[in-house]
Amino acid sequence: MKRRHLPALLGVAVLIAIPLSIRNSFFLHVCILILMWTVLGAAWNVLGGFAGQVSFGHAALFAVGAYTTIILYLKGGLAPWWGIPLGGLAAALVSVPIGLLCFRLRGPYFALATLAVAEIVKLVALNWESVTAGSVGYLITTLPSVRLFGLSVNWEAKTPFYAAAVALAVVALLTTGWLRNSRLGAYLVAIRENEDAAEAVGIDTVRAKVVTLALSAFLAGMGGGFYAFYFRYVDPDAVAGIGLSMEMVFIAVVGGLGTVGGPLIGAVFLTAVAELVRDRFQMGHLIFYGLFMMLVIRFMPEGIWGRVRRLTAGATAGA
Amino acid sequence: MALLEVHGLTRHFGGVSAVSDLSFSVNEGEILGLIGPNGAGKTTVFNLVTGFIRPLAGAIRLDGQSVVGLRPHAVARRGIARTFQIVKPFPGLSALENVTLAAFLRHPARRDAEAAATAQLTRVGLGGRLNEIASRLTLMDQKRLEMAKALATRPRLLLLDEPMGGLNATEVDDASDLVRQIRASGVTVVLVEHVMKAIMRISDRVVVMNQGEKIAEGHPKRVVEEPAVLAAYFGKRVA
Amino acid sequence: METFAQSLVSGVLTGALYAMIGIGLTVVFGVMRIINLAHGEMVMLGMFGAFWGQKLWKLDPFVSLLVWTPLMFVAGVLLYRLLLRKIIPGGELNTLLYTAGLSLLVANLALLAWTGDYRTISLSYGVTVRPFGIAIAVPLAIAFVLAILITVTLGLFLSRTNLGRAIRATSQNPEASVLMGIDVERVAMVTFGLGTALAGAAGVLLAPSLYLYPTVGELLIVKCFVIVVLGGLGSVPGAIAGGILLGVVESLGAVYVSGAYKDGIGFVLFLAVLLYRPSGLFGAGR
Repeated sequence: MKRRHLPALLGVAVLIAIPLSIRNSFFLHVCILILMWTVLGAAWNVLGGFAGQVSFGHAALFAVGAYTTIILYLKGGLAPWWGIPLGGLAAALVSVPIGLLCFRLRGPYFALATLAVAEIVKLVALNWESVTAGSVGYLITTLPSVRLFGLSVNWEAKTPFYAAAVALAVVALLTTGWLRNSRLGAYLVAIRENEDAAEAVGIDTVRAKVVTLALSAFLAGMGGGFYAFYFRYVDPDAVAGIGLSMEMVFIAVVGGLGTVGGPLIGAVFLTAVAELVRDRFQMGHLIFYGLFMMLVIRFMPEGIWGRVRRLTAGATAGA
Repeated sequence: MALLEVHGLTRHFGGVSAVSDLSFSVNEGEILGLIGPNGAGKTTVFNLVTGFIRPLAGAIRLDGQSVVGLRPHAVARRGIARTFQIVKPFPGLSALENVTLAAFLRHPARRDAEAAATAQLTRVGLGGRLNEIASRLTLMDQKRLEMAKALATRPRLLLLDEPMGGLNATEVDDASDLVRQIRASGVTVVLVEHVMKAIMRISDRVVVMNQGEKIAEGHPKRVVEEPAVLAAYFGKRVA
Repeated sequence: METFAQSLVSGVLTGALYAMIGIGLTVVFGVMRIINLAHGEMVMLGMFGAFWGQKLWKLDPFVSLLVWTPLMFVAGVLLYRLLLRKIIPGGELNTLLYTAGLSLLVANLALLAWTGDYRTISLSYGVTVRPFGIAIAVPLAIAFVLAILITVTLGLFLSRTNLGRAIRATSQNPEASVLMGIDVERVAMVTFGLGTALAGAAGVLLAPSLYLYPTVGELLIVKCFVIVVLGGLGSVPGAIAGGILLGVVESLGAVYVSGAYKDGIGFVLFLAVLLYRPSGLFGAGR
């Protein structure tokens, strides 16, 4: 066993141990939220962190996933483990034309374009009532009765959702880890560093960005699908608002742009702030998101994970 | 035989004409100097040939095949590489990472790409600075890095945009030797340069541009004596 | 035909106020190459300034302009000096993310302080008059006139004073203006103050005509992007044209297109312009 795999294996062991040892359902709920946010932060980070393409419209992709999954379930009876990946796939498909359009723009212009796209998607969700049920939205009242490995799944317990969230988070982190070491990942870094220079050495920057956006959309869409089943409710304000886009940005920035572990740290941070503050005053957590984002960009632009990694790398080198 | 043919190339920005009806060709294996006063349109020619800007009219053919309308990465794949007058490294990456990114074009496997990149860096004299972060290199070394990146795409035609600007006399000599050595390895070179001494020494032929048009072409020694060239460089009075 | 004229007029009136917000964003972009995502919150603060001025001190909203505009200018200068100056060298994406954080912070502090209730300002002269059969709300008409006055004053400042000329020079060519001995740092500070003051003043002017709520900035910033992109980022005349165009398109759209998709027209226009004429409808082209 290689030493660098040790932390990952340890992490997986802890993740498996949590529901077995702790029966507190609120605690499990918090863990589920953290894992869901990890997936969403990782989704944003693939594009924003690695390729340097800041999107303020990722909620649109989340929404496509959430709607696809919930509609497939309510109208087609499709089970979650089919519906969630299909939600991801739908988001990825939608993201391709969006990418081909918006990637003609660079830097802040791209960011503005994604903002507009997200607003358009939200308007469509509000007004295309025959498909999206408009502002009323969709509600899941009963979940399917299923038997897995001879056991019937108890949807009232948090455990099945926890298992699904772990699976999604592992997929997201493995994807990011693979990307970091792949040729595509190297191309994305080149694009972030200097797009003209990347083109000049033969990198098809548009293709690299579109593929990455689709990957990012797949993760965000699966996150949306998971959300639909876990919260059992989808409407435009809940899944397509700009606030959700900003939360994904927050996780990636605070955790560490372009790092693999960053989104997990960012998600822990975000969930902790939200749960600690939410009960005391309404929307108060958003104040802290704003504040922390400003502080992180000012004092450690590499994010928490990036800073820790640099410090530990320095310590190892010094030893 | 001509490796690159440019015919009737035209592009203007707003009302200002940057390149108008420009035609020239580059022969396989030669070093062609592209010279002219500031604002003559030399860099625009490079941008047009490499697909960074689209021409309004005209043809650009590499080995008889049109490259007009291709995006820069596709032009690079066809075998035209370029450097930028204001160097464009990937600033936060090491010299080796910079060049490896370019070497990926011909070597999909990382190990092969890194080996090819190391070879190119050694060739331009950066063999001892593989792990230096690009933004910390001196200007001379950044220009070398720029060339190593271009070479790592294994071009047939290399467009060098002022590779010697800002260098001192010794460095200019080194750079001249490098350009000749690149040509000797079978790469055709087009050179935009203001350092006249270097252009005169290493070019087989020069094309002189002024205000977007070609005003002279031929052997470097003879071209600089032409009245139109003198007028462009020193004003009408001298002519 | 009458409906058309009516929508045209109300579109132009609102558009002039949109233009003012757009000018604030666009001058800041022109000089500093940054997009201030918290610009909408500055408008929101202006709106609440007008509201509380009337509520607490019986101050007429339009008179309170004299208080809030200079205050917002100072706020902008401080914001630049104390916060943004350190961020800008980190690159445009850092600045974008930083101002996004600022926007969240300000909007939600306001939400905490003032709750999410929708409020309105009522004025004794808040009536509608009908010259030539076209209905015009008096507060909106006053706001329109003041917006024009402010814009003209700004135009005179930019073209007639040394500082104004320095701002325009920096906007056109930052490198050259350093060489010409312009104190770029000071220019940036004043510009940011001006941009913030314009946003605040526009907020004060809009307050009697719109619903006030702390997250209104979200809606306004998106409109504001539409405006500056239509007119070309960095261009003041472009922002004026873009603002009026958006006002008219929205108000015509509300009549002739399904009301639900009214806001969508602006976005589609926005995307189309971003993609096909990134330098704006009135720019010189790429």
